[in-house]
Amino acid sequence: MKEETSNNSRRKFLKSVGLTVGAAGVVSGFSLLGAAKAAAQEPGETVNLLTQDGQLVQVDKNQLRPTVTGPLTELQKRGREGIAGKSFVMVIDLSKCRNARKCMDACQNHHQLRPDQHHINVLQMQDAEHTAPYFMPKPCQHCDNPPCTKVCPVDATFKRQDGIVLIDNERCIGCRFCIAACPYSARIFQWTEPKDAEKYKNLTYNIEANVPQKKGTVSKCLFSADRLRENKLPSCVSSCPNGVYYFGDQNEDAVTNGTTHETVRFSKLIEENAGYTLMPELGTKPRVYYLPPKNRAFEFNGDLLNEENLH
Amino acid sequence: MKNAIKIIASLFLLFVFTASVVNAQKWQAPVSSKKKQNPYEASTRNISSGKKIYNINCKSCHGDAAMGNMLPLQPVAPSDLGSQAFLIQTDGEIYYKVNKGNGAMPTFEKTLSDEDKWMVITYLRSFDQNKKESKKIAEVKNPEVTDVKLLLDINNENKRILANLTGVTAKGDRVALQGIELSVKVKRNFGYLDISGDDAYTNEKGEVSVQFPEDLPGDREGHVNLLAKVTDDAYYGEVIVDRIASLGIPTNPVNPLDERAMWGTRANAPIWIIFSYVGGVICIWGVIFLILFQLIQLPKLAKNKE
Repeated sequence: MKEETSNNSRRKFLKSVGLTVGAAGVVSGFSLLGAAKAAAQEPGETVNLLTQDGQLVQVDKNQLRPTVTGPLTELQKRGREGIAGKSFVMVIDLSKCRNARKCMDACQNHHQLRPDQHHINVLQMQDAEHTAPYFMPKPCQHCDNPPCTKVCPVDATFKRQDGIVLIDNERCIGCRFCIAACPYSARIFQWTEPKDAEKYKNLTYNIEANVPQKKGTVSKCLFSADRLRENKLPSCVSSCPNGVYYFGDQNEDAVTNGTTHETVRFSKLIEENAGYTLMPELGTKPRVYYLPPKNRAFEFNGDLLNEENLH
Repeated sequence: MKNAIKIIASLFLLFVFTASVVNAQKWQAPVSSKKKQNPYEASTRNISSGKKIYNINCKSCHGDAAMGNMLPLQPVAPSDLGSQAFLIQTDGEIYYKVNKGNGAMPTFEKTLSDEDKWMVITYLRSFDQNKKESKKIAEVKNPEVTDVKLLLDINNENKRILANLTGVTAKGDRVALQGIELSVKVKRNFGYLDISGDDAYTNEKGEVSVQFPEDLPGDREGHVNLLAKVTDDAYYGEVIVDRIASLGIPTNPVNPLDERAMWGTRANAPIWIIFSYVGGVICIWGVIFLILFQLIQLPKLAKNKE
């Protein structure tokens, strides 16, 4: 009996020694592998990031991955369909605009445009010689009878069920028929390599934001369709400091001001303030309504002498 | 020498300081405007309606009164309208500045009514620690209560919403709370549409009756998302109820893509245009092929004649 136990203990001892050595080997192997990996990925620059719970952390740049927004086909499909049950409208109150141009900045930022490219532009207007000049922001009118989609030979530009007119830069062949057809000059053409092309070259194309922009294709205002999907107001609307823009769903008969976040009845706002659309005689049925520049909040401070500024 | 440098440095600092003070105080209302008095009393109702007007017209730049969270605009940031430094001015001076505007500050001469402007000033005065008369005049004294409940009774026939506000007293009785302002709102895509009207204060029964707009659209079944709350959280904390009610007009959203139209893509083109286009192509190519066929036939015809 005793011999057996001693035998057992020796066996146990040998076993445990073997295990330990083996484990140590494996561990060191792994650590070597880890070291090799670490060497391959040299700890480069660190970036400061804010976590969701509001903590500031430093993260190695090697660990960062670009955000993936979803496969291209899926984005294209839902971008073409639009948001069911909605009918988006914009109201621009000309009496409040003082040419702060924050809408243009926000737009160019969102859609990766250079400062000279406009999805929305603030124009100086004077309708006749003796009438009062005013500022007029002019985005795409998202017409209900759009002349631009009629002329596209490749179905690249189209209207969705929520009323928004979009363009698919993956399909666009750059013929610029739509630019010629648009009476509001709402479209731009990417003649050169777009802004930050190198930086965004790996980004999945998002049809609802026209980013990344593509050289040799047409780009236009999209009512920030990607933001609307998250129930956010368009970039221009929420960046205005002077309460110029109202945006909402016509089916609900309500529009919300981007600055004050006051929600009002769309029909009442248009009716009480004599709202109008641009060039109604063309029958394009725009979705952008204007309130006349009466009872201004600011004095006109534009440069009327410079004819280049006048439209 | 050292002293001279010190003197020069302090003079320079003094100059910079006075320059900045002068800069901040540059916008002065004329003396004649100072005497104007606020004709409205500092009642809770006036302060509350002033707060509403403030939140819509002033808050986006000036931030919350007395919170110092204004927009950091350049070169001059908007002042905190609830600060004591601002409230040193008389009612008349504030009224003048609201009316006239200056730089980035819009003029409210025509966009806000006189009453609205005075309400805002009444609201701002409620932050003034030096004015004794600005203390809130409580119209009704409600007993100390706990477990505040807001109940909604919706009448679908005449589209009236009856909100009832009650609380439990120290003795354990549930009593109505009087003179409290309620907000009734309808959820829309980007915000809440306020339908409570001007006078949504609870009566002696603790009730407020709100008329739902006759022509406000709901979803397919006419459902709308209602939200009722005690407007000022300072009274009883956040008291909110939300309810889905079928008060709206049933609205079937129209899908413009259901109809074939000229502006549609290829799949949505009108039938007549597809037919006439395809017909045109067939006709033209048909003629070309016919001519080619005849040309091929020519030598054969010539042979036959021979």
